[in-house]
Amino acid sequence: METSKPARRRDTEDRRREGLESKVEGFNERGRKAVRDRKLHDSISLFTNKTLTGRNAQLGAHPDAPELRERAYRTKQETMANLDYYLSQMADAIEERGGNVFFADDGEDVVRYVGDLARRCGAKILAKSKSMATEEIELNHRLEEDYADLGLEIVETDLGEWIAQLAGETPSHIVGPILHMNKERITEILSGVSDEDLPPDVESLAAFARKRLREKFLNADIGITGANFGVAETGTICTVTNEGNARLVTSVPPVHVVVMGIEKVIPKFEDLSTFVQLLSRSGTGQKITVYTNFITGPRGEGELDGAEEFHLILMDNGRSKLLGTEYEEALYCIRCGSCLNVCPVYRQTGGHAYGSTYSGPIGAVITPLLKGDKEAKDLPYASSLCGACTETCPVGIPLHDLLLKLRNRQVEEGMAGRAESLMFKGFERTMKSPVAYKAGAKVGRLMQKPFAKDGSIEGAPGIRGWTDFRELAPLAEKSFRELWKEGI
Amino acid sequence: MADRTKFLESIRHRTRRGRYKPTKSPDSVWTPGVDRPGREEIEDPPARFIEELEALGGHGERAESLEEARDYVLDLAREREAELLVRWDVGYLDELAADEPLREAGVEVALWRDLPGLREIAARADIGLSTGTWAIAETGSLVLEHGPGRGRSVTLLPPTYVAILPADRVLRAVPEAIQKYARGTLPANVCFHTGPSRSGDIEMSLVVGMHGPGDVHVILIG
Amino acid sequence: MRVALFVPCYVDQINPEVGVSVVRVLRRLGVEVIYPEGQTCCGQPAFNSGFFDEARTIGRRFLDVFEGERFDYIVCPSGSCTTMVSHYYPFVFENQALPDDRERAEALGHRVREFSDFVVNVLGVKDLGASHAGRAVFHTGCHQRRELGILNEPRDLLQNVSGLELLEWENEELCCGFGGMFSVKMPDVSTAMADEKIAALEKSGADTVISCDSSCLMHLGGRLRRTGHDTRVLHLAQILDSDGR
Repeated sequence: METSKPARRRDTEDRRREGLESKVEGFNERGRKAVRDRKLHDSISLFTNKTLTGRNAQLGAHPDAPELRERAYRTKQETMANLDYYLSQMADAIEERGGNVFFADDGEDVVRYVGDLARRCGAKILAKSKSMATEEIELNHRLEEDYADLGLEIVETDLGEWIAQLAGETPSHIVGPILHMNKERITEILSGVSDEDLPPDVESLAAFARKRLREKFLNADIGITGANFGVAETGTICTVTNEGNARLVTSVPPVHVVVMGIEKVIPKFEDLSTFVQLLSRSGTGQKITVYTNFITGPRGEGELDGAEEFHLILMDNGRSKLLGTEYEEALYCIRCGSCLNVCPVYRQTGGHAYGSTYSGPIGAVITPLLKGDKEAKDLPYASSLCGACTETCPVGIPLHDLLLKLRNRQVEEGMAGRAESLMFKGFERTMKSPVAYKAGAKVGRLMQKPFAKDGSIEGAPGIRGWTDFRELAPLAEKSFRELWKEGI
Repeated sequence: MADRTKFLESIRHRTRRGRYKPTKSPDSVWTPGVDRPGREEIEDPPARFIEELEALGGHGERAESLEEARDYVLDLAREREAELLVRWDVGYLDELAADEPLREAGVEVALWRDLPGLREIAARADIGLSTGTWAIAETGSLVLEHGPGRGRSVTLLPPTYVAILPADRVLRAVPEAIQKYARGTLPANVCFHTGPSRSGDIEMSLVVGMHGPGDVHVILIG
Repeated sequence: MRVALFVPCYVDQINPEVGVSVVRVLRRLGVEVIYPEGQTCCGQPAFNSGFFDEARTIGRRFLDVFEGERFDYIVCPSGSCTTMVSHYYPFVFENQALPDDRERAEALGHRVREFSDFVVNVLGVKDLGASHAGRAVFHTGCHQRRELGILNEPRDLLQNVSGLELLEWENEELCCGFGGMFSVKMPDVSTAMADEKIAALEKSGADTVISCDSSCLMHLGGRLRRTGHDTRVLHLAQILDSDGR
């Protein structure tokens, strides 16, 4: 039997020369750092395993689960086919309730609208509830920069999101923004904004955050939220949270701004029944989250709280390009994060390795679609195509098939590396002819001789991506076809 | 700045339908079949409601009468050493007739009315008290409809929150509750409130009462 | 019953013994086995890397070779390569200038069966009278699990192997990290995935990993050997072909 060999130094340079590894720091480089961080690994396992157990118990146990998924898919399909109709219907419904609707082509438009609004209101404090759409356009950062004269204080109010903001980091998971941090790190971050050193226990940390953020809720001039769903028929915005922060920022400040991706619209109020059930069960493994909140326009007559001014920003930011294409299904996503939790790649690397706002399989799909292939060249390859994402997706997005299509799109656009393109040209030539195939195998047997040692291939050029990490079995002395000819 | 007409037109041209015809109301809006409420057999909705709420760390109570509920509120106020209670300004809570006994017990009672500093009162209150329009057995949720006299802050700012509603208002499942709002005009805010506010953001450890109340009581009458 | 054998290229060249075992098992069950010698590869490596044109050329050739033969089923000792033909040929030939390629792919795709699926569901056999001493875990390849949905068949067959103790292992449904070119393009992450499987394997106490996919076994086996494990990796056909030697 084989005895162990000392692990060889991983020589990135060699692999780069072979043309199999990209020259810029990409997914594998960031992933390499991540997989060596055992603390990170433990944090990811804790979150994903716990959430998945809940998801399996709640969705697996739900007698209607397959039907709900089918219904969600068909509802989204219908919505996307008539998206302009539903957006227009939603805008009308909101205006009828006295709300304002703004159509934003991109992040720039959103920033300008919110900034101008803040100026008009004389706003100082903007309290935000977790929203991936605003992360996507870096709203906080850009408001602070473009509207520096207003001296705005923009506060994230979701506990995890606030801690990430204080640390100057981006969320590493759609649902669990700071799952990559352990308690010690969080204690350090929160102590940094406290007058005293905080004890590293969860209760004290949360109590500190509660007190600090409560002040912000009560004094905020504008509340900003995303939308988990927007109902065309009624103009209703549905937010789904556990902490209650979305409910606070929509109840206390006098102005409420919603930043909603255009794909979040659903036709009818009763469609919420499908989506609310799927989102909470799939995302956090709860039957329903603590606050499933439905906001329709500004506060009604005689009401003493709730926003007096209501603004809905419908944001495109690259989404409409997907309509009517083979990638349209990527717009069905309800951001539950389940595909991240089941993804064996995400489970090794966490979200930051993806280098994009959205991580995991859905991030690998929509980042190149929204930002362009060149911005996220390696993300479609950050998958073993195992299909766990497609299997878990509560709205039936064929995620791993979309990754395959995106890989093909890069090849068609001539983005594949020269070495790889040549390799597959050669592969095609070899495999389309049994004569070439047999000849190739013969050459392979000859060429491997100098590299074969103890039943493994070592140090042969072109295969170090494999052999730096694993033993490579040599070609057999006789192929199956030879054995067949000789008679089995 | 995007213009609405142009924005929608460009979207229409990209949709599958928009390629062949101008958009009007979709030919066949795909209408989801009406949910079959109560597909899962729930024999005693109030009992199931209490079971689910307790599982989430809330407290469910079944009371024979409003008097019994009043005693529950009084006991709770004493136990929590409350100094200020804020409540919805609605007839059902007038009927509860808890204000006087509470005041006698040294608890200040504020109603959600147009008063100066109302928000600060709610923020200072130890207990918030409201009714609920519906409850949902399957999930242990309260369905709150807000409006005049029915402030959102009452259910949100005080650390302890109590809701009182008749037991026959307990629905079976979420689709049934959503169906209640599928027709007619919606209030500006409806909330499905399910148990204590919570967060798991720090190492997946459960924190109760993160931003909203951590101490939640629902009393079903009858 | 006449079966055309589809032996994936890496089985042909690296693990020919797997093909041999398949032939022996099928013959023992009274199946006539033919081997179309013009076959090479299904084209999956190119397909998975996004080189669809190249994959289509190879796919057309595959269709040509097998359409020229007379058989009841095509049997393949790999869930992954079976999936390439049954699921991804129709996918890759969609929206092509020559629509009949897709139809051809559909027609042939219906006749391709993964080895364990064929034995259990077509032949109706679960007990082959094999014996193999050892404690083993079974790894279901991802295509086999999710595209083909073949979950119980290999287990049914292994339950009836005398002397073999089939163990459970943690997170059995996780990918081994192979993923074709993924293992070379993202080697660090791919290896971390294999290491997680290996940790679960160690915990289970198994001395053997069995699978219906030699590619997963090549990956797990390669990593096992590199990290100094003497765990054996065997294809299901090899177990069913064994008589306890």
